[in-house]
Amino acid sequence: MTYQFDWSVLWTGQSGQWLLQGIITTLELSALAWLLAGALGILSGALRTLPIRPLRALAAFYVEFFKNVPLLVWMFFWYFAVPPLLPRSFQDWLFDHGAEFWAGMFALGVYHGARLSEVIRSGIQSIPKTQLEAALSTGLTTAQAYRFVIIPVALRLIIPPVTNESLNLLKNSSVALTISVAELTFQTRQIETYTAKAFEALTAGTVIYLALCLGIAAVMARMERRFAIPGMIARVARAEH
Amino acid sequence: MKRAMTLLLAVALSATAPAMAETTLEKTTRTGTLTIGTRTGSPPFAYIDKQNEWVGFSIDLIEQLILPSVSKKVGKPVKLEKKESTPPTRIPLLTSSAVDLIAETMTDTRSRRDSVDFTLTFFVTGAQFLVKKGSPIKGIKNIAGKRVAAQQGSTNAKIIRERVPTAQLREFPDQPAAFQALAQGQVDAYTNDGIQLAGLKAKAPNPRDWEIVGDFYSYEPYGMALRKGDSDFRTVVNNGLMEGIDSGKFFEIYEKWFGTKGEVPYPMSPDVKKFMIYQAVPK
Repeated sequence: MTYQFDWSVLWTGQSGQWLLQGIITTLELSALAWLLAGALGILSGALRTLPIRPLRALAAFYVEFFKNVPLLVWMFFWYFAVPPLLPRSFQDWLFDHGAEFWAGMFALGVYHGARLSEVIRSGIQSIPKTQLEAALSTGLTTAQAYRFVIIPVALRLIIPPVTNESLNLLKNSSVALTISVAELTFQTRQIETYTAKAFEALTAGTVIYLALCLGIAAVMARMERRFAIPGMIARVARAEH
Repeated sequence: MKRAMTLLLAVALSATAPAMAETTLEKTTRTGTLTIGTRTGSPPFAYIDKQNEWVGFSIDLIEQLILPSVSKKVGKPVKLEKKESTPPTRIPLLTSSAVDLIAETMTDTRSRRDSVDFTLTFFVTGAQFLVKKGSPIKGIKNIAGKRVAAQQGSTNAKIIRERVPTAQLREFPDQPAAFQALAQGQVDAYTNDGIQLAGLKAKAPNPRDWEIVGDFYSYEPYGMALRKGDSDFRTVVNNGLMEGIDSGKFFEIYEKWFGTKGEVPYPMSPDVKKFMIYQAVPK
């Protein structure tokens, strides 16, 4: 017997509403986690290039520890192991106010922060040393040189790999369903349970993830063109010769 | 299209006709064996224990109540043969005559009765709640506004969502994660079929810290399945169960597996006991 497709399950009943809620939760989760990952990534990525050993070691520890443990383990860590460290009354408040979401957000953000850190470090290290020396010779301090010269240039150079990481982050947000976050994959499974139409529900999920990812990639590509420094890449290439 | 289907159906029916010609009782008389389909890993209903023996509540019922009844009917001792069945294979095994009776953990439902017949109900469970001892939650009436864990995609989650929309439902893909969330206080209760909760409670580090509460808010009656339309065989099996209920043997076997000292303590409620007794019709 061939499988009878029935696409109407995706918009009849509550399915449409569930999918919409799933998309919103996935986007909220990913956006917040992305901001956290960005902050942690820039900070630790920059620290790893500094000539100050303890700071370098600290950043290296963060990166190696968080990126080399599976994301699923981090989800359980933030959801099960962190709350008991907090005061009991705060725990109760948290459990009533979306502890799952915040645990998922921290798991995603901290994990991807470690991965982004490597991208940012490679971006900074791709800038020739002479540039830092030039900045310092104009009288800037190291911190100022990083803030005004090195980081702004590095961030422009790494847009393509950052796009990659961002898309990974969005797709990895589906792991949060293991700690009961009702994101997009969770909702497609829900539709499957209610309608027993697995192919339709999974296809809907696939198409939505694809559309979200393509949308983000398009925005990032625009950003890359908008912020490109004319002649920058060529100058870097020449300096390396 | 319709005509092709009818033709196909006719061919299929005529192909199975010879198998159907022999009733289960005739087959048992001829071979001297009764073949059941049962589980290998579904304690305490049917599983292979540490001594490598295939045991369980469902198997005891067959050996101690049903086999004697079948032997009496066919007039000679009948041997029992066990084969493994699982939820996806049990109905095909039965309809193809590879096994004669399914005795495991199968819920009797109206839609399943379209393809197989069921014996009397031999076990009753339904959705309940597992809570920390002393919890204010005593059943589905008390869960409004509370955090309740459920298995992702289970009918229980569906029922809660419909009947108590204000409950904060947290759905976990697996039992250990849900139990961990309950143990740490992320949720106030975990809901699943009562017998599942009893199994979880029995395995917990401190079973006494946990309580299974609430009336069943869903109903899961387990029955044994047999081939559709084999009414003589069904009567013999049912008579075996009824005699066991009359003599009290059925309740002894229940106590052995589900009593306070049993494999999975899950005491029979007075309602269920009454229901079992009323299932046994007069001689």
